[in-house]
Amino acid sequence: MNEADRLKAFEERIRRGEKIEPGDWMPDEYRRQLIRMISQHAHSEVVGMLPEGAWITRAPNLRRKLVLLAKVQDEAGHGQYLYHAAETLGATREEMIEALLSGRAKYSSIFNYPSLSWADMGVIGWFVDGAAILNQTMLARCSYGPYSRANIRISAEESFHMKQGKEQVILMSQGSPLQRSMVQDAANRWWWPTIMMFGPHDHDSPNSPVLIRWGIKTKTNDQLRQDFVNQVAPEVLELGLSLPDPELHFDQASGNWLIGPIDWDEFWRVVKGDGPCNAERMAARRKAHADGEWVREALAGYAERQPAA
Amino acid sequence: MKAELREALANYLTAIGDDELILAHRDSEWAGHAPILEEDIGFANLALDELGHASIWYRLAAELLDEDPDRHPDALVFTRPASEFRNVQMVELPNGDWAFSMLRQYLFDASEQVRLSALAASKHPELAQAAVKIRTEELYHIRHTSAWVRRLGLGTQQSNRKMQTALDLLYPRALQLFTEETGEAELASAGLVPRPDRLLASWASQVSEELIASELRLPDGNLSTPAGRNAHTSHLEPLVAELQQVARLEAEIAW
Amino acid sequence: MKDTQWPIYQVFHQEQPDRPHTNAGAVHAPDAELALQNARDVFVRRPDCVSLWVVPADQIFSLTAEEIERAGLPPTPAGNGDSQRYLVFLKRTQAGSHEHVGAVSASSGPAALGEAVRSFGTEEALVWWVVPEGLVERTDAAEVGSLFGPAKDKPYRDQAFYHTTTLMRQIRGRPRQET
Repeated sequence: MNEADRLKAFEERIRRGEKIEPGDWMPDEYRRQLIRMISQHAHSEVVGMLPEGAWITRAPNLRRKLVLLAKVQDEAGHGQYLYHAAETLGATREEMIEALLSGRAKYSSIFNYPSLSWADMGVIGWFVDGAAILNQTMLARCSYGPYSRANIRISAEESFHMKQGKEQVILMSQGSPLQRSMVQDAANRWWWPTIMMFGPHDHDSPNSPVLIRWGIKTKTNDQLRQDFVNQVAPEVLELGLSLPDPELHFDQASGNWLIGPIDWDEFWRVVKGDGPCNAERMAARRKAHADGEWVREALAGYAERQPAA
Repeated sequence: MKAELREALANYLTAIGDDELILAHRDSEWAGHAPILEEDIGFANLALDELGHASIWYRLAAELLDEDPDRHPDALVFTRPASEFRNVQMVELPNGDWAFSMLRQYLFDASEQVRLSALAASKHPELAQAAVKIRTEELYHIRHTSAWVRRLGLGTQQSNRKMQTALDLLYPRALQLFTEETGEAELASAGLVPRPDRLLASWASQVSEELIASELRLPDGNLSTPAGRNAHTSHLEPLVAELQQVARLEAEIAW
Repeated sequence: MKDTQWPIYQVFHQEQPDRPHTNAGAVHAPDAELALQNARDVFVRRPDCVSLWVVPADQIFSLTAEEIERAGLPPTPAGNGDSQRYLVFLKRTQAGSHEHVGAVSASSGPAALGEAVRSFGTEEALVWWVVPEGLVERTDAAEVGSLFGPAKDKPYRDQAFYHTTTLMRQIRGRPRQET
């Protein structure tokens, strides 16, 4: 079979809704795009542990402390599943980590924003994990088997992440004046970054067409973004909180909640590494990696010296 | 049970609850910073378990004091000044490197093995039941941390040196887990808690076997008698300030 | 400096005693004991596991249906090398994971693959895995309580623990508060 025929057969499999599995023939571009996407997703989970991990020591009661630690632990677990999905495509974890720490690989820009108060924990859970769930639910239908399965497992675990956050926002919004102002401030800071999590508008996304054609994505950035706004905006308003968008309104004709213009300058600045916390996040991950080197070496050394089974 | 015994037992349980809480708090600081992703997950698991255990001990203490078990644990953790915490000094120390944190967890897990086995025979039935349940979880802890101690001790010259430095710091401090506190002798006589000197003997023999197998040297010579649990290092104040920072923003509100 | 993230171990879990072990995923670990512990921490944070197996990924011999079609089965070696038991795992469907189906005896990995296809040949399989039984590290029945029990005591990992729907409904029912 020549390349053109192979490609045709491959695209037929995708059209039929078949899963592509490790070892199956796939175009180089498909493999490349998936490794990029999956490793970026994995890096996001790992970096995502940092803005929330910082607040575990300050959780205001034992229940919240347990829940936040369990959530952060899950995020590490999700990173683990995702790195493994990328490994099935031939990437090694050593390479992927090196790419992240050297600045070559990207991760979701949402994690370059600082977590400034305890109320951020509620808002991050509701908004950011809510957005992630929409994305992951879509990716669960991805044509590449291991990535699809990883997203199924992640989505099942992620639902508590969103709900614990939403629960906190609800309670704070109905709580003391201090709590209400704290959670309003958090919502003001996290709304637009969450909106931007879904990426550039469809007409500005160079990767999207091929990702959709090959079943890697099954919904566009704008579609997911709209789903998110429809889901979350009305409930935030029902709680008596406001959102930092004077143009936000319900459009009767389309049945959608419409938002104002997105500040793409900010988006690109943060993606390119100039966000409020980019340097801090990367420094933390580089330190953890460097500090851990003697540990990884020690255990590899011990294993080498054990008698063979 | 006599009133004095009830109070003494409540104090005992609060103290071991404080050990679990403060250690869990320290362990949780590793999330996102562990040497490898699998340990971001694994070490957090130990912390989650310890937090759960702290709640169990605090709730038992509440019942003995006729306090509301649903409210008392948070009251203990989030409203007491640092000076009233009764944890041992070992658990409040900053995390140091991975060798320090892992070895500390191991020494503590080993103490729990011996303490929980003894508490399983307590004449206070609720305490005996709780000990049995917690001991099941702790079996995994000691398996995990002893495997790591062995591997770090025997791994490389560098890891062995780091473990030795950590052991030199930690071993004398660990002895404080077995000092006899006020009221403890009466509790032991009443069959409610084990005698601490017996616990120390079991613990010392168990850990020395593991540590020697890991090519680590135990301190020689006489170690000074550890302080009582009401004596803390300078590290506890800032720890408690951080722990209580958000809770203290406003009293009596629900988070 | 060259980093090691440790070798990969494939993990198989058994959710109920009467179900076969299936491939849950993989962990990085320096050795089998830590692979088992890591597998427990990575894959058993929620309940429903009674047994875990881990196997070094580089010791698994693999054969796909596509390869069999193209090149036939691996040849049976002449003579009798030392025979050992190999556990056999099958992936039957695209979306499914490898499942433990049984064991064969053979003198090498490729021979074991051939034996597996012949022995379990009525099975429609997409991918065959065999691994020497001696390399499979397993959890003990006696350890089930301490390994898998604790996951049952963490209801806060279950989304049903958070009553956001009820809370929203209560708030909708109230007259609007003055903020």
